Amino acid sequence: MEIKTDDYRVWTEGSEIFFDGAMRLASSDAGAPITALATSVLASNPASITLNLKDLHFLNSSGINLLAKFTIEVRKHPDVRLVVRGTPDIPWQSKSLPNLKKLHPALVLLMD
Amino acid sequence: MTTLFGTPDVAIGMKESVSRVRLFDGPLDLSWRHCATTSDFIADLFALRFRSSRNDYMEVRHSIGYLVNELIENAVKFRAPGEILIEASMDSECFKLKVSNDLDGEDASEFQSLLEDITVGDPMDLLIQRIEANAANPDVGGSGLGLLTLMSDYGARLAWIFSAANESDRICVETYASIPISQIHN
Repeated sequence: MEIKTDDYRVWTEGSEIFFDGAMRLASSDAGAPITALATSVLASNPASITLNLKDLHFLNSSGINLLAKFTIEVRKHPDVRLVVRGTPDIPWQSKSLPNLKKLHPALVLLMD
Repeated sequence: MTTLFGTPDVAIGMKESVSRVRLFDGPLDLSWRHCATTSDFIADLFALRFRSSRNDYMEVRHSIGYLVNELIENAVKFRAPGEILIEASMDSECFKLKVSNDLDGEDASEFQSLLEDITVGDPMDLLIQRIEANAANPDVGGSGLGLLTLMSDYGARLAWIFSAANESDRICVETYASIPISQIHN
């Protein structure tokens, strides 16, 4: 499954969801296809889900809210492990990704 | 009548050398794309002086770009038809921004009641509470999350001044923001 625009691309490989580019969502509606993609991965009941953000250079607050909402969704499934992979080289990630751990303390945040 | 929200001292001090960008509504047909191009341009311009250090440059450029993008996005989303004026300046400690646009009277009242909620308390606590509330009630929009993210994750100090606009049913809002530059590269 893949969502592709001029500015960003989101796709899945098994239960890992990859994000690439610069995502500036105008509203939560604009993020609906991404939420649908992530929800379908969750619905397949995997042992773990990985959000791989290492190539997502920019994410506006609507997009951060989308990640937060999905984190809360996964929190409702205690048997599913949520891993978020980011990089300290991209400033928004070191600033805002730790907030996801506040929402879901069992989330594994890998900044490498 | 003039109404102020947020940190009063942020709302002054834009008198030093200021760079101005004016987004005209008519010829540009202002759209979402203008938020990105304008904020990237301003971030590139102000981060130039940090280019001797790659890490500082990346950090400053990103923080300025993020701040400007969020505030222009808000202006494009909520403004009454008309121009958006963006003014920016930087000294050794802070990057300062002022975004001015008109709002319809009703939108101005709604925005003021939102500001009453998000300008009192710890921004990080408020951010987490609002995310939880939005997730529990999908009908509620993500209102205020961008502003709270700026305050909690970027150390932004924000202020808003509402005053009568030239057109009678409109309110002019000036959004002021200041982010620390000296602490950015810690």
